Amino acid sequence: MKAMLFVACLAAVCLAAPPDADKGKILGTPSAPIRLDVYSDFECPACKNFHEQMLPLIVRDYVMPGKVAVVNHEFPLNIPEHKYSREAAAYATAAARLDIYQPVADVLFRQQSTWMFTGRVWETVATVLTPEQQKHVQALVKDPSVLAEVSRDVDAGNREPVRATPTIILSYGSQHFPIPWPVNYNFLRSLLNGYLK
Amino acid sequence: MAISNKIVRRLAIVLRVALGVVFAYAAYVKLFQFTDGRLHLLPWQLFAMAIDSYQLLPQTAVEILARTLPWFELALGILLIAGRWLRFASAATSLLLAVFLSLMVRAYIKGQEISCGCFGPGEIISWKTLLRDGSLLAASLLVTAGAFWRGRVRRESMDRDTLPTTP
Repeated sequence: MKAMLFVACLAAVCLAAPPDADKGKILGTPSAPIRLDVYSDFECPACKNFHEQMLPLIVRDYVMPGKVAVVNHEFPLNIPEHKYSREAAAYATAAARLDIYQPVADVLFRQQSTWMFTGRVWETVATVLTPEQQKHVQALVKDPSVLAEVSRDVDAGNREPVRATPTIILSYGSQHFPIPWPVNYNFLRSLLNGYLK
Repeated sequence: MAISNKIVRRLAIVLRVALGVVFAYAAYVKLFQFTDGRLHLLPWQLFAMAIDSYQLLPQTAVEILARTLPWFELALGILLIAGRWLRFASAATSLLLAVFLSLMVRAYIKGQEISCGCFGPGEIISWKTLLRDGSLLAASLLVTAGAFWRGRVRRESMDRDTLPTTP
């Protein structure tokens, strides 16, 4: 009976903990007082805008000092215009397992206007990987657990619910709410400073 | 005639209370969040970002509006439910809804994929939100018309009662 209880508790702890691969998608200290969960799609222009304009400011002002942790989640939209979103999400997730999520995400957003029309997702990703990393990522992207992880992110987003990309969910203590898009950095800063004071 | 009058009056009350509940709820979701068995006051900056996404007002005006508008909505909701200061409450509600709807239509026509800001964050403007707010405005205009009509009828009957009688 005790053993069963122990197994049940262990299972509960394991289920509650974020999956291992997610660690590669976290920017900053996971124990930071504020957590921002970002649900994005690599083919979405607003997500590119957030990634390139706003995220560097958040990283500089809050992630580096250990005040905020940013957790990236894949949310490839299931629309005909976003043909390669899921493939891009799979490569990024595979790269996260090797702790090289950021450079892959950076290049996917930077070259978004090219690969979203040509479909040359791998060629884009490969430009920021060493030959050794390329081999690993190509092997990992075929791993069913990587695709399952992308699906888990989508399921988690649907539970929030994520209605558009990017969606940023702020968690502080027991409080948990989405931040309206587009984000005004001055108001976001005022909001975060209010919690951190 | 008396029966249909009664039905209209009851319908007006239902409409007014429903509108009041919607306004009170809209204010509640902007102001509070219920977690861990207690009510937390939500930061005003969340609503400020929703207002700011319409790109119409300077930052200072956005801040003032974000800090005050939800409380004003709450007051209007309570007044509508209670049936107090009805002409003021219903007229203010109609005016607010007309402004909200026109701003939403403008954003929709411009193709802005922004948060509506109606019932808390996370609701993008779509034809559904426009239809919902349009229906609310129609209901509010009916309540306003009813409130002013009743006020006029009451005033007229008071005037009749106090009319000086010739000796």
